[in-house]
Amino acid sequence: MIKISAKNVDVFYGKKQALFNINLDIEENQVTALIGPSGCGKSTFLRCLNRMNDVIDICKVQGEIVINDFNINDKGCDVVRLREKIGMVFQKPNPFPKTLYENISYGPTIHGMAQSKQEMDEIVETSLKKAALWEEVKDRLHEPGTGLSGGQQQRLCIARAISVQPEVILMDEPCSALDPIATAQIEELIDELKKEHTIIIVTHSMAQAARVSQRTGFFHLGELIEHGSTDKIFKNPDNTKTQDYITGRFG
Amino acid sequence: MSEAPHTVKSYEEELKNLNSNIIKMGGFCEEALGKAIQAITTRNSDHAESVIKDDEKIDKFETLIEQQVVNLIALRQPMAIDLRETVTALKISSDLERIGDLAKNISKRTLLLNEYLPKNLVDALVRVSSNVQKQLKSILDAYLDRSSSMAMNVWESDEKIDDLTNLCMQEVIKYLKENEKNLDDGTHLLFVTKNIERIGDHTTNVAEQVYYLVTGEYLEGDRPKGTEPIVTGEK
Ligand SMILES: Nc1ncnc2c1ncn2[C@@H]1O[C@H](COP(=O)(O)OP(=O)(O)OP(=O)(O)O)[C@@H](O)[C@H]1O
Ligand SMILES: [Mg+2]
Repeated sequence: MIKISAKNVDVFYGKKQALFNINLDIEENQVTALIGPSGCGKSTFLRCLNRMNDVIDICKVQGEIVINDFNINDKGCDVVRLREKIGMVFQKPNPFPKTLYENISYGPTIHGMAQSKQEMDEIVETSLKKAALWEEVKDRLHEPGTGLSGGQQQRLCIARAISVQPEVILMDEPCSALDPIATAQIEELIDELKKEHTIIIVTHSMAQAARVSQRTGFFHLGELIEHGSTDKIFKNPDNTKTQDYITGRFG
Repeated sequence: MSEAPHTVKSYEEELKNLNSNIIKMGGFCEEALGKAIQAITTRNSDHAESVIKDDEKIDKFETLIEQQVVNLIALRQPMAIDLRETVTALKISSDLERIGDLAKNISKRTLLLNEYLPKNLVDALVRVSSNVQKQLKSILDAYLDRSSSMAMNVWESDEKIDDLTNLCMQEVIKYLKENEKNLDDGTHLLFVTKNIERIGDHTTNVAEQVYYLVTGEYLEGDRPKGTEPIVTGEK
């Protein structure tokens, strides 16, 4: 089943074009990895999927992003509802300047997901546990989220993203600031999450892309060069640019 | 290997090194097989003894290649073509090692053979072995040139070796039946023939690996098979 379909997507920052005619289908309940050299447009593409580029003044998006048969670039799209369904973990951790607890309860509160304090406590606890952070912070839930280490902040943001049960989770290098143990825990979480969510992850680790994803897309200079099953991309890609990139032959 | 070099030069060196060790090891196997056959046709014990002695070199290459492969996997996590290079090197080296062992076994038996062997027997043996030698040479060339079509040719020619092996076996059996005194030599020659055929089988394995290395795909279907062997010594 196709969950998201990008059709002829072009993105411009002012006059500079950052993405060129991207066509990509994202399968439901699978993990799709986006790889490519720095600056090739991975984050830009990810932001197209929940209209996060709207907040960048000079950014202009053309083409269609069809999610559940609906083009989210249409005028009638409710962007707040959209971002509720399409959660995001950013490249740089961005906790709210509030307590750990509030960072996570914020979304579920808005969406009326808990009937009682107890239910909210449960949501906070399971979200933190899934994000492999619970043990480290269970005694300081009412301290500010900004007081955590970089890796802990990143896991807090993952916990926040999953707390509202989004249909799709966009992850932009979620493990770049994490140690190997937390990385393994996040990878385990991704495996778990894909049963109920569709996941798109940007990563600079080829090994991670190969491990966690079923589909992979390779971007280069704003173009989607090749996409297909992860197995194929990492064992025997069709395009020499893809091969050169994943084998470490890029100049 | 891909056209562009790796950004990390030492990685590039390690892969090149692995590649050249396979070529060297293959060269030693070719030499061992050549000498083992020569030892029979010219009844030259020195050749046979040097094959037995030099097998150690081939074994050492297998260990070396195995270590290199383990290092590459642990330190470089090779992907795509590099992954295929690494994994096939490991598999090819183990087939080459077996080829070395079989050549050694041929030589050990050669040392036990009587001075005189009937010409028709030697001729039949040479017909099989020269084909196997040709195959081994071709597959090493195919590996060096990264040629899937050459690999495919080698793979397809295994059938012919099976047929020539059977003809040779028939000659040996005739010889065995002629005279009870031929029992020792005849038995050794049956094994020698069988060993040559098995060297051909290992060469075919290498062909499958080379094909996979180059194309990323497995050679489809059953191996080409010649007529069923009459006597093989194993069932
Ligand atoms: N806010 C912005 N204003 C102007 N140009 C931008 C902006 N964000 C991105 N770009 C440009 O768009 C191109 C794609 O950037 P993007 O952040 O999508 O790359 P990326 O693939 O995510 O890179 P990285 O791996 O380094 O995160 C780059 O050339 C970048 O300079
Ligand atoms: Mg980015």
